[in-house]
Amino acid sequence: MIDLTVHIGNILFKNPVFTASGTFGYGTEVSELTDVSKLGAIITKSITLNPREGNPPPRIVETSSGMINSIGLANIGVDKYVEELLPMYDNIGTNVIMNIAGSTLEEYCQVIEKVESVSSNLVGYEINISCPNVKKGGMQFGVDPTMTESLTEAMRNRTQRLLIMKLSPNVTDITQIAKAAENGGADAVSAINTVVGMSINADTEYSQIYTNFGGVSGPAIKPIGLAAVYKVYKTVNIPIIGLGGISSGKDVIEYMLAGSTAVQIGTVNFKHANAGEMIINELKELADIKQLNTLSSLTGQVKTYS
Amino acid sequence: MVKEDCIIVENRQLADTIWTMTMKAPLITQNYIGAGQFILLLIDRLSEHPLRRPMSIANVEGDHLSIIYKTIGSVTNEMIHLKPDDTIDVLGPLGNIFTGFENNMNPILIGGGVGLAPILNLQKELKESTVIIGARTENEHFLTHSIETGLMLTTDDGTLGIKGTVLTVLSDVITKLLKPAIYACGPTPMLKALQTFTIENDIPAQFSVESYMACGIGICQGCVIKNSSKISNSDPTYHKKFDLVCTHGPVFPAEEISFD
Repeated sequence: MIDLTVHIGNILFKNPVFTASGTFGYGTEVSELTDVSKLGAIITKSITLNPREGNPPPRIVETSSGMINSIGLANIGVDKYVEELLPMYDNIGTNVIMNIAGSTLEEYCQVIEKVESVSSNLVGYEINISCPNVKKGGMQFGVDPTMTESLTEAMRNRTQRLLIMKLSPNVTDITQIAKAAENGGADAVSAINTVVGMSINADTEYSQIYTNFGGVSGPAIKPIGLAAVYKVYKTVNIPIIGLGGISSGKDVIEYMLAGSTAVQIGTVNFKHANAGEMIINELKELADIKQLNTLSSLTGQVKTYS
Repeated sequence: MVKEDCIIVENRQLADTIWTMTMKAPLITQNYIGAGQFILLLIDRLSEHPLRRPMSIANVEGDHLSIIYKTIGSVTNEMIHLKPDDTIDVLGPLGNIFTGFENNMNPILIGGGVGLAPILNLQKELKESTVIIGARTENEHFLTHSIETGLMLTTDDGTLGIKGTVLTVLSDVITKLLKPAIYACGPTPMLKALQTFTIENDIPAQFSVESYMACGIGICQGCVIKNSSKISNSDPTYHKKFDLVCTHGPVFPAEEISFD
């Protein structure tokens, strides 16, 4: 029997398949369609200090082997998250990681302080410094190493829980930002958030997204994610949670070979709410074929020509 | 809601670009509550299309469920090649239903384009109704125009039924009914015109609206429609300015929708 468990920081995950923020709601909506306790972790939808309506429609469009979204961080706000959702995570059967977004350093700090002030089962935080869809969605942090480092430090000073910084691919050099997160005290980084893109309808001549640009996700961005993970793996010593276009067990193996310790699945959850379970089963079969004892032995082991 | 591999019973062309597909969906039909609800289909082998396609339910009989679809893109153009005994991955039933039926009410059901699917479904649920179906031209129609049975077809070019739009017929029909109520589904320009008409004439109306969709179950927050409540941008709110078509809809009171 293959050992699927992975460690990140001091947390043990039952397997390396997590659901990506924004693609699995708050983890409580899909119990009719899947057994969430099978997942390695649930990363909940970005939470900001105040509730947010999000962007006007159209917010999503399908593109070749992918989709563009510009939701604009629509969310219930931290107070409701603390009151209504945190208690539900006591019996959810898997690790829950909270994703936080903000527009100022103070806002990120206030959110994490509110959550830290109550007792809960959360295992950690993923800090969204890379939302491409709102004017002040943290992206200004995610493209600047100095700001990434100071935000990471500010978060580190406020929690002992697992701290993950979520990196944007929309930068000149993702390794600099990863290094800054490591220097600031992050336990891990996740890579990549969505890739900035645009879609135009040739018939109507309209931009297909209200904000014109949105984040491309899905199989189309897998090669971009793999390259980012590989580069970051060569640069930092903290674990990487890889994401971008994963939709099968094979994709997970590829991301682990590139340097991921764990992975997140996103767009595929829209197609199959039980994609996590399906992918974990595929992983077990693939591990059998490869005669692996531990899945984590794959991390960073890609064979290269130079 | 359930995810089910449904066996196709029938898949045939109704008109120029309009097809109907009937499938065996024992679990979905068990959970079905009425006209207005929809399903999400997946043609899994089309890997370049990672999203399911929303389709209104056009009919439910026993464990059989039917949809009416228009061949507009590569997914729907692939769907026409599916044959009886093939399977199709379906998530459903999703969304809410048309409501507000009262005694002595005279329901007028209006469909435009493939928006006729939930309208025909509703027609079967109601004892009596007037149905108006609009299209651009004759080729897009597959029903029979009959003023006697209360099924009226319109075409923009006058090649079939009454020349004009659904509004042309509606303004006439409405004068003969005591307690009209409008139920409509179709393209946005049609719904927008109907909204103006129903508000001006103080007629209760419900519209089923369309949207791009990713999850269909309220998770992605992608399929919003603007509602008519006037909330300023500075107010911290959630789901006051926008409604989710998938879980709050697809049927909304006409006056609550903002088409701006």
